[in-house]
Amino acid sequence: MGDSDHDHHHRNNVNNLPPGFRFYPTDEELVVHFLHRKASLLPCHPDVIPDLDLFPFDPWDLHGKALAEGNQWYYYSRRTQNRVTNNGYWKPMGYEEAIVKSSSNKNVGVKKYFVFYMGEAIKTNWIMQEYRLPDSASSSSSSSSRSSKRKSQSKTDFSKWVICRVYEHDGDDDNDNDGGTELSCLDEVFLSLDDLDEISLPN
Amino acid sequence: MSMQKNMSICVNGQSQVPPGFRFHPTEEELLQYYLRKKVCYEKIDLDVIRDVDLNKLEPWDIQEKCKIGSTPQNDWYFFSHKDKKYPTGTRTNRATAAGFWKATGRDKVIYGNGKRIGMRKTLVFYKGRAPHGQKSDWIMHEYRLEDNLTSETCIVTTNVMGDGGQEEGWVVCRIFKKKNHLKTLESPLGSGETRRTSQHQHRNDVVFDSCEEEEEGGLEQILEQMGRSCCKEEEEEQQNDPNGYNKNGIRMGRAIEEYQHEDRFSKLPRLESPKSNTNEYHPMMEGSYSYPYPYPYPYSFHHHQHQHHDDEMEGGGGMITNWAALDRLVASQLNGQSEDSSFNAAYTSNNNNTTTTTTVDPTMGYCSSDHLQLPTLRSSSASSSSISSSFSTAPNNNNNNYITATHDNYSNTTTQIDLWNFARSTSSLLLSTSSQPL
Repeated sequence: MGDSDHDHHHRNNVNNLPPGFRFYPTDEELVVHFLHRKASLLPCHPDVIPDLDLFPFDPWDLHGKALAEGNQWYYYSRRTQNRVTNNGYWKPMGYEEAIVKSSSNKNVGVKKYFVFYMGEAIKTNWIMQEYRLPDSASSSSSSSSRSSKRKSQSKTDFSKWVICRVYEHDGDDDNDNDGGTELSCLDEVFLSLDDLDEISLPN
Repeated sequence: MSMQKNMSICVNGQSQVPPGFRFHPTEEELLQYYLRKKVCYEKIDLDVIRDVDLNKLEPWDIQEKCKIGSTPQNDWYFFSHKDKKYPTGTRTNRATAAGFWKATGRDKVIYGNGKRIGMRKTLVFYKGRAPHGQKSDWIMHEYRLEDNLTSETCIVTTNVMGDGGQEEGWVVCRIFKKKNHLKTLESPLGSGETRRTSQHQHRNDVVFDSCEEEEEGGLEQILEQMGRSCCKEEEEEQQNDPNGYNKNGIRMGRAIEEYQHEDRFSKLPRLESPKSNTNEYHPMMEGSYSYPYPYPYPYSFHHHQHQHHDDEMEGGGGMITNWAALDRLVASQLNGQSEDSSFNAAYTSNNNNTTTTTTVDPTMGYCSSDHLQLPTLRSSSASSSSISSSFSTAPNNNNNNYITATHDNYSNTTTQIDLWNFARSTSSLLLSTSSQPL
């Protein structure tokens, strides 16, 4: 058995998890299990996401610093108005999603999308999802009332933790996603035509 | 990173899978780690993957039995032993009390470290009994080790079966429910979903619906018919002729899969009017892709550069490298020219929209009498370049991104007839694009 084949899944070893276990958190898990606990200064379990604060790492420099899983990198950071890196900046893509807790239907967080620009104007394929707590609530609890007075917030708010998930949107990571649970469109076609098959081909 | 040591899990009991972690093995892990251990009687530390008697459990029962922890799952894994054969043949009996599993498509080769390590069969669960089953949304991927590899796999300790300390017949399976729409955005499985915005998600739903509804519409059916010729009850054939199976007809399907991977729910382009559909499949976030081409997808079927390479051509066919050529293939079938024993395949290289035509030397023996004989194809620069440019260059996609209009060794009379019948039935569609004389 070539155990060395699996050495690159170092986290599994660290976690004592067998091969095949990966960090694929849902948005809800990310917010509830990691962000809320961090913001409440509770220990995170498992403590796998490193805190990169506001270090100006370019996305391609995250490897080895952030938690890497597949083609995604996770790290804690702080809310900031301008997410500038050594060689560029993260520009908001202009939309957000509410993270809703499935059991209670409560808003527990917000996911905001950014795209990375190199220099001033060179748009890249690097995407960041920044998870933050709902604007009105610093930790769990309370209602999901939204306020928009965040506009007045300036610069860095060190009390606001965020989790960043960074990935490169390049469409070439087919192999990593190969084990997904979706059928390709061709498979769908095969499925559909199996019905015709019953008629036209002897079995 | 400091780790707590007590994170080990207890699967199928009260489990402690750490938050955020899921059992989402790669196909390679499934084969190389889990299934190899299984066939070698090696102990697998945690009972992550259980044994399931496929004849006894319905898919929804498997879902219960193969739960890992309490986290939500989209797929479930188990070992199954293929010892149940029908009395009349070698096919595996996969019937349950409520229905049966039926193979679909063709098996996919699984590679690990550049080598073939196994095969994947896709099956669909039908409720009811065989001729009248009702198709369900339950899908199974059944993975088996490459036969010639399993014997070398095991370090021989026990020799229960008398054939090298391993047991034949074990497969590892994953079942999941087919979704007709994109997964929700908080889906944990890969970035493919999470990168999509909600408005794009909606759009994709629409596109995908049209994909299902319009499958009568030409290309899909052609592909199906072409593909079907090499996916007749896969197991026996491919064991007899793994090379031929792998290297020929399967490619067309794979090319499409590659193409589709960019957005697997997008609609396939239609043969006659690639332009008219381009607005539909443009799911990327705006501007995050930019191609110097008028069409949104950087896929091409021309990347196979070594056309004359022998083992690429064996098995009685050549490659057709764009939709127009595929058109012509079927159209020429239609015109009754398939007796022409010389075979010219059109290879389109459309960097900068230039088209080159390569003629395959017919003396290379691709068209022996055993094979479906393919018609003469000619690619005219003028007519094919505009279409082929819609699948313009993607430098990273090699090897798989071409169409093989070939019918390999297990092509038989039945499938030829199917193709003929099909070609006739779609004649109006096809003739509209194959204007040049053959």
